[in-house]
Amino acid sequence: MLARSCLRSTRGVSAVRNGAVNTTKRAASSTSNAASPFALNVAGTVSTAMAIGSAAWYYHLYGPELHAMTPVEEGLHPTKYPWEHAKWNKTFDHQALRRGFQVYQEVCASCHSLSRVPYRALVGVTHTVDEAKAMAEANEYDSEPNDEGEIEKRPGKLSDYLPRPYKNDEAARAGNNGALPPDLSLMAKARHGGIDYIFNLLTGYPDEVPAGAVVPEGLNFNPYFPGTGIAMARVLYNELVEYEDGTPASTSQMAKDVTEFLNWSAEPEMDQRKKMGVKVITITLALFALSVWVKRYKWAAVKTRKLNYTPPSMGGKHTNGH
Amino acid sequence: MGFFSDLMEAVTPWAEVEAEAPAKEEEEEGVKDSRDEESEDKEEEEVEEEEEEEEMVDPKEKFEAECRESKGCSSYKHHFDECVERVTGKSDDGPKEDCVEEFFHLAHCANACAAPKVFAALK
Repeated sequence: MLARSCLRSTRGVSAVRNGAVNTTKRAASSTSNAASPFALNVAGTVSTAMAIGSAAWYYHLYGPELHAMTPVEEGLHPTKYPWEHAKWNKTFDHQALRRGFQVYQEVCASCHSLSRVPYRALVGVTHTVDEAKAMAEANEYDSEPNDEGEIEKRPGKLSDYLPRPYKNDEAARAGNNGALPPDLSLMAKARHGGIDYIFNLLTGYPDEVPAGAVVPEGLNFNPYFPGTGIAMARVLYNELVEYEDGTPASTSQMAKDVTEFLNWSAEPEMDQRKKMGVKVITITLALFALSVWVKRYKWAAVKTRKLNYTPPSMGGKHTNGH
Repeated sequence: MGFFSDLMEAVTPWAEVEAEAPAKEEEEEGVKDSRDEESEDKEEEEVEEEEEEEEMVDPKEKFEAECRESKGCSSYKHHFDECVERVTGKSDDGPKEDCVEEFFHLAHCANACAAPKVFAALK
């Protein structure tokens, strides 16, 4: 486009020149043939070449996107999966949440904490009250100081938070070769790619490292982790967990369930939020319809009136006092 | 709870809210749950029996392997294979090269192709 418009303008210029030359020619009636078709062709070709060349040069300079990091350093972008619960009118699959919690507890919880989720949050979501109470009671928590000022242990209550696998971050690092297993409570919101990233990361460990790739000692190759060297080894294998509802526990099934569970832990209000959204839209639509009706009602008199103007006849034989 | 009764509750903030569901209902729920589980168990036992005969195959791996061989990913597969051949056949003193980027392209293609199939196969 640029080249074409450039060409057109050159043509225009040469046409002007042509005209000018022609007039001088006519005036002086000389025999100069400066405006031969050959010269015009050359001018057109050269200007086209210039236009294309400059565009190409510009693209060469500024066209390619610059990346601060190599693709390896950036990591493979997570593939988008058609999550059912992510649709605007769908809720979490609470059976999947229950299975996901089971996977978290049996697999992830040995390294990763879920410190923002209390047992009471599970009630009505994944477990019944009694189940949640029983799970809470299986853990010990510090109680109030007794008469001697000693802090005794007490069984957990619904209001207690899920226990963390390590006392503190330092202990967690010491137990994991210097790498800190992050808290998973908000992980679905904390990583670029969200739940797709988690699912891809969990299932993305290749059977063999691509040729030539260097994996530092103590790290594992995972294409989705920025830098591809991740301290967490592959943990999910087929039939690692036995689901209580009998779902076949393939690697991707466990990954899907635990990812949906982590989505819930990061966004427990999702079901309510979507429901509220539908309520808001419904009520707002009703109110809007009402307001349209009221407006039409109020304006009916104005809109349907008819103005009749009978001009007074000017001059003539009007003698009735005007 | 029906949608409209829920809507009514939303516009009538004086409606009663119970902190705990009545115990009776809970029992019923429990019974229902166990019944559901039983029926599901029965269904899935059949499925499991079929699968127990052979090793469980992860649907993701299965579909991705199919996708890697598919026509859509053939160019990525070709580049990756070529790279692997080049890198593995090379002597150590040459310039370092790896096939991670080729692997990325192939994996991305295969994953995108397999994603809907995998989720259709999973529960």
